[in-house]
Amino acid sequence: MMRKKTCVAMLLAGGQGSRLGILTKQVAKPAVPYGGKYRIIDFPLSNCTNSGIDTVGVLTQYQPLELNAYIGNGASWDLDMNNGGVFVLPPYQKGKVGEWYRGTANAIYQNMAFIEQYHPDYVLILSGDHIYKMDYNKMLNFHVRHGADATIAVREVPWEEASRFGIMATDADDNIIEFAEKPKQPKSNKASMGVYIFTWEKLRAYLTADEADKSSSNDFGKNIIPKMLADKQVMCAYMFDGYWKDVGTIESLWEANMDLLSTPMPIDLHDKKWRIYARTPGYPPHYIAKGATVSGSLVTEGSQVFGHVEHSVLFAGVTVEEGAEVIDAVVMPGAVIKRGAVVRRSIIAENAIVGPGSFVGEETGNIAVVGHGINVPAGVSVKAGVQVDEETTF
Amino acid sequence: MKDVMGVIYTGESDSRLRELTMLRAIAALPVAGRYRVIDFLLSSLVNCGIRNVGVIMQKNYHSLMDHLGSGKEWDLHGKHDGLYMLPPFLTRENMGVFSGIVDALRSNANYLSRSKQEYLVLCGSSMIFNAHMDEFIQHHIDSGADITMMYTKLPSMQRDEYGTYLAVAEDGKVTDLEVDPTHPSYPATFMHVSIMKREFLRSLVDKGVAHGQHDLNRDIILPMIQAGHAKINAWEYTGPAWRIDSVQAYFNFSMDVLKTDIRSQLFPEDLPVYTKVRDEMPARYGDNVTCINSLVADGCIIEGTVENSILFRGVRVAPDAHIKNCIIMQDGQVHSGAYIENCILDKQAVIKRNARLIGPSAYPIVIAKNVVT
Repeated sequence: MMRKKTCVAMLLAGGQGSRLGILTKQVAKPAVPYGGKYRIIDFPLSNCTNSGIDTVGVLTQYQPLELNAYIGNGASWDLDMNNGGVFVLPPYQKGKVGEWYRGTANAIYQNMAFIEQYHPDYVLILSGDHIYKMDYNKMLNFHVRHGADATIAVREVPWEEASRFGIMATDADDNIIEFAEKPKQPKSNKASMGVYIFTWEKLRAYLTADEADKSSSNDFGKNIIPKMLADKQVMCAYMFDGYWKDVGTIESLWEANMDLLSTPMPIDLHDKKWRIYARTPGYPPHYIAKGATVSGSLVTEGSQVFGHVEHSVLFAGVTVEEGAEVIDAVVMPGAVIKRGAVVRRSIIAENAIVGPGSFVGEETGNIAVVGHGINVPAGVSVKAGVQVDEETTF
Repeated sequence: MKDVMGVIYTGESDSRLRELTMLRAIAALPVAGRYRVIDFLLSSLVNCGIRNVGVIMQKNYHSLMDHLGSGKEWDLHGKHDGLYMLPPFLTRENMGVFSGIVDALRSNANYLSRSKQEYLVLCGSSMIFNAHMDEFIQHHIDSGADITMMYTKLPSMQRDEYGTYLAVAEDGKVTDLEVDPTHPSYPATFMHVSIMKREFLRSLVDKGVAHGQHDLNRDIILPMIQAGHAKINAWEYTGPAWRIDSVQAYFNFSMDVLKTDIRSQLFPEDLPVYTKVRDEMPARYGDNVTCINSLVADGCIIEGTVENSILFRGVRVAPDAHIKNCIIMQDGQVHSGAYIENCILDKQAVIKRNARLIGPSAYPIVIAKNVVT
């Protein structure tokens, strides 16, 4: 028998992230690289370990190979434990039934047995879509103090953007009195962050009832939370005012990377008390050659710069050859920018090659993307906003 | 699974490394921006499939133990075998401090007898190289020799009055060996890496101890060569190698690593070098900075000028600070307006505002750990 855990985290990592276009063609969204050496999932996983939550189930379904390999035994996040740790939970056959995860609530429902092993009092539901540093333990204390059945983390968004989010209207005691998914006339600007804490007994009952309801789409936002509210359960909103960035689109992923280049950084990644852990490939330090120029950028281990890098983020093992220019760009692990190529306002995915003298992206306009392992031939130009994949012809 | 184990002896003489080894063994000396000297050897052993490595510690071994931890970074934390730290200890027969490698092996006779592997690679720890150890091991097994010694012909590895040099015949046989000669008479420098059967080494150690001998090469192997009753072979390593035995040697190695072709030989893709991970964010470059011909590790913040230098993890170079031909270890800081040239800053050293420190390139200045100047 497993030892009891106060709180178990369940990380929903099964979504494709289709708004990230060709970047999620081969990998699940939580495995998308961010910030020079991280992947999106490093943030919720590091938050868990830093918050003292040491049992994490990661629910995967779409393109799980790279994500599974990345998580490994969880040692990178100190989640390789005898009692607890990180577990990858794909859908599986149960008796004669076997099915995919039909929705966020269904994914948790299908893994109730996993949660039950630890007899938790609370379950923390997370997604792998956001960049933020958050102490879940503080939120858990809030949940316990309020005697809540469910607590939803919220943050204030600009009023004009409120209609894009799940909006909570609250009373003076942080009780949620109304929840509206993408309301036309928002009554509040407190938007859900997709981080929930449930008292496990309650959630188990609601998941079971939701599963029995054939008309339900088995989703937390659409079904579970509205149902609990309608039943007058104690639902609280927990305010979070730190940096939080949705990286669900090409533009927002690019922006979130660029955020790290402003001074001071809106999210402090030097913070020794709240380190963001990542699996590191073990390269030597990066090398800046004679004749190279690097400014306003992030560069990590294993990269070699012989050209010009300005206001950009270079991941591990990137090469920028002599005479190449990389400006306002995100260059993911192992990519090579060949001699004389110019890359502007772009995301160059893992192991892609930009051929000699080619142009990718423009000074203004939408972000150009070169997909995973794509070879952009010499001397061509890729306009702003274009996504280059296997089918692209030049 | 290789039927080979490794033993690394870390008790070498280090007086010429001055402050750099005041608080640590050579094996634990930080090099190349994020490694320790021992990482190269340990990674070479692990990369060829060795899963049982003993590290004999002699003195100042705290920082080495701290670095190696459970051996996890080198995948040496298994249930069977793994990493064994072997510090000196006192018993009735054991005087604690080892007076040489023979003593050290004798003190750890239990570890040697308990290990199961047939072959043993015995290494020193003051050289940096990244070898395909499996070629060396296979060569030894195929040749049927009693001992095979690894050597290099690089002239830069020769020292007056220091080191072990081999006379190697055309058939690869070692015909003579000299220890600490006034001038080396042979071009082959022994790299302090040898392989033999584990049981063979145990018998040599037992005999050596019984005869009051301390030096394996001079007291035990040399007489065997002279008597001609054992087959002692040599194997040439042809890649780059460095002997880290003085501040100057350390500095020269560091400047060599700045060369792209050298780096590609020291860090080949199929022989990764593992080290303890410190989760730092990527290095951040300010808007008006100059950084040329330098190696920069994660966690650095560069706002000044950096030339021909190696910056370890977490180094800060303030605006208007200028560093040239320097090695700045972990968490070092160079404040605004400072100019430093030909300096080695040990961990957490701080160069204050407007300070000027220029060392001769042949005798770099060493700023000890935690010193503020």
